[in-house]
Amino acid sequence: MICLLALLPLLNLFRQALLSGEAAPLALGLNGADQIRGTLVLVLGEGVSGAVLGTAIGWLTAMCRFPGRRWLRIAQLLPLAVPAYLLAASLIDWGSYHGLRIHGIGWTIALMTLANYSYVVLLSTESFGISGRRLLEASRSLGVGPWLSFFRVALPIALPAVGAGVALSAMEVVNELGAVRLLGVPSLSAGILDRWQVDGDPRGAALLSLVALAIVGVLIAAERQLRQRSRRWSLSGSSQQEPLWVLQGWRAGLALLVCTVPPLAALLIPGLWVLEGWQNLSTDAFGELLPLAARSLGLALAATGITLAAALLLAVVRRWCPRPALQQLSFVAGLGYAVPGSVLALGLVILGGPLALSPLLLLLWGYGDRFLAVSKQGLDAAFERLPPSVDEAAISLGQSWRGVLHRVHLPLLRGPLLVGGLLVFVDVVKELPLTLSLRPFDFDTLAVRVFQYASDERVGAAMAPALLILLFGLIAAVALIPSLERR
Amino acid sequence: MASIAASMMKIWPFGTIRSLTLTTLGASALWAPMAMAQAAGAQAQSQPKEVNVYSGRHYNTDKVLYAEFTRRTGIRVNLLEGKDDELIQRLKSEGSGSKADLLVLVDAARLVRAQQENLFRPISSRELNKDVPANLRDPGGRWYALTRRARPVMVNTTLVNPRLIRTYADLARPELKGKLCLRNRASVYNQSLVADELVRRGTQSTQLWLRGLVANNQQPLFTSDTPMLRAVGQGQCGVTLANQYYLARLLQGDNSADRALAQKVRVVWPNPTHVNVTAGGVTRSSRNPDGARRLLEFLASPTSGEGYAEANNEYPLRGWGNNPTLRSFGTFKASPVSMEKLGQRNREAVQLMTQAGWN
Repeated sequence: MICLLALLPLLNLFRQALLSGEAAPLALGLNGADQIRGTLVLVLGEGVSGAVLGTAIGWLTAMCRFPGRRWLRIAQLLPLAVPAYLLAASLIDWGSYHGLRIHGIGWTIALMTLANYSYVVLLSTESFGISGRRLLEASRSLGVGPWLSFFRVALPIALPAVGAGVALSAMEVVNELGAVRLLGVPSLSAGILDRWQVDGDPRGAALLSLVALAIVGVLIAAERQLRQRSRRWSLSGSSQQEPLWVLQGWRAGLALLVCTVPPLAALLIPGLWVLEGWQNLSTDAFGELLPLAARSLGLALAATGITLAAALLLAVVRRWCPRPALQQLSFVAGLGYAVPGSVLALGLVILGGPLALSPLLLLLWGYGDRFLAVSKQGLDAAFERLPPSVDEAAISLGQSWRGVLHRVHLPLLRGPLLVGGLLVFVDVVKELPLTLSLRPFDFDTLAVRVFQYASDERVGAAMAPALLILLFGLIAAVALIPSLERR
Repeated sequence: MASIAASMMKIWPFGTIRSLTLTTLGASALWAPMAMAQAAGAQAQSQPKEVNVYSGRHYNTDKVLYAEFTRRTGIRVNLLEGKDDELIQRLKSEGSGSKADLLVLVDAARLVRAQQENLFRPISSRELNKDVPANLRDPGGRWYALTRRARPVMVNTTLVNPRLIRTYADLARPELKGKLCLRNRASVYNQSLVADELVRRGTQSTQLWLRGLVANNQQPLFTSDTPMLRAVGQGQCGVTLANQYYLARLLQGDNSADRALAQKVRVVWPNPTHVNVTAGGVTRSSRNPDGARRLLEFLASPTSGEGYAEANNEYPLRGWGNNPTLRSFGTFKASPVSMEKLGQRNREAVQLMTQAGWN
């Protein structure tokens, strides 16, 4: 049912696009090849740099002790609160004051890494913390140093989580529209929209969407492959808290630097921009901030609830009915993440029109579809680490399946659920294309306002709602502290 | 549907996962009545006392004008602002079920595209025909311009002698090599400007001109006008093409650094100067075409139209308006090419730009 709901808009869209009867030949078009290349280079560049940065920070904050570690660990969540389009817009604007051209693929990779490496940190930290500890203790007691332990023991164990994080961040990159446009990089997401809306060529757009889908399909498949190859059960998550290695001297300094720079940069880029342009801060829009914020918050909360429930259901069904068909279905249900938001929105508009669905319902449907993969990814990974013997033990003790879910899985999965919920919440607050295309009359949100003002190049007016988006992200990140700390 | 709901209940034990989803489900529960209220609101929108506007403009001052319209006529204005291309697509997808009554778009090519998609309904209005000059409206009465914007040449006089430039063609002069900066091809403002040249000077001259422009531009293309104007002020570029309101905005802004940069930029009006419009039309699907027409007449009328233009430092449909910043730029001779023609030649213009290497 959930899979059906997730797939319906897309299938319908492709049907419409391919059967639209227009005789135009199916071709990639003038810029098609450039756009595919641009997206591939971006995905590769961001994937590699995000994996390295995210794993390094995840390892340092989970397993090593150095000054400020505890705070820095939480600080890694900050970049998630900063939308990539805001980073790009504010950096370009700030640069243009100082005669610095921010432009091209290098900057784009750097900014996208900054905006998305936290996915890798979040998932890898968890993995280092939960499953690796006992093995690491063993390897340490055998006299293996931290570097070797990392490469021989910790990294292989964490690889599925790192892979999942990279896959998530790469999907964000495939989907990113605002930032890549601003930075002048040809991309599939922009290509799809332009082919559809500007050239009036839905078949061409569908073709490009298929390419995007294929890229994401490869990403997801690779991540699953990695995960299967290194499946390990573990329960020893909460046994102890202290990091295994104590860093001192220059090592501690380096660790501090590596863990401080990215979150600081994510805050400083919009921060510096606000600071320098504060004279431009427009106050005439303050009155509308409250309703804007209330709508953003309401939408994000509702979408988080729906998405988490759906992801949990899928994960539980997958665990208890290990039929291949179900496995595939649950895999496919996550594909909504791969489709550019605006394309998904069109699919929903076409679908929702005849059904006379309320625009808000359509919007929530869209959020659920789009972000199911975000909450599912972490949940699946966590479920896979949970040995089946746990379920069997519970059932042998007379628990019904509900009991198992309620008394065993949910308490054990609190962490991943919270992380998944947080990611969805922050994503929805930042989300743009779906909200832009599906919201009803007089129902703007913070992200919509930021985008509208920024695309009019009225940066001053965009500042206040942008700061509120940041604030929401920060609050969500802070809300996660207790769960991270307990672990 | 009932069976689906029943099976959902079976596999989705609300009670058991209560502790987990209490807050989120609570939020959804709070949300549901709001969504329903929204749906009910949508029902009520078919009442003729409302006009639903899809607008590609995002100015808070527009809302003041809409409120003034409501005060005068008792007709409520519901607003959905978005990106022009997206609004066109949305209207198209919604088909006859769309609730929009009035579509307001920026740029000639988009207007013609919406017209070709058959999204507008022709109307006849003596007032609109009087207030909107003939080349700024659709001859078939499907859309009418509301404001004008110009795309003149902007020069840093320490680097480029403004006398060198009398027409857009002069931007291809070899003396300007390395001094010209351009925004990318995706900018509809550039596309319409090229279409303007295409109509006035023909394909071959335009092709040559475009090659000259691309050769003179030796920097990465910009993706927006404001950073480009700053680059001109800083002397990274000597000359560029930008809409007048971007410069006006920098000059009026509270940021002293921006003002200082903008003051180094001089507006040079080519003869003739390319002009583009914001325009509106009553939608094909409108349930209140009469109300939509009245709103259009209100916005196009010289008194309120000035307010619509003022919001974004744009020019009214006739004359130059009273905006002191715009007045300081001087006056220009507008290109006689009709918006309709600009829209019709858009695709060709984009092709020529692509061939010339304008990315």
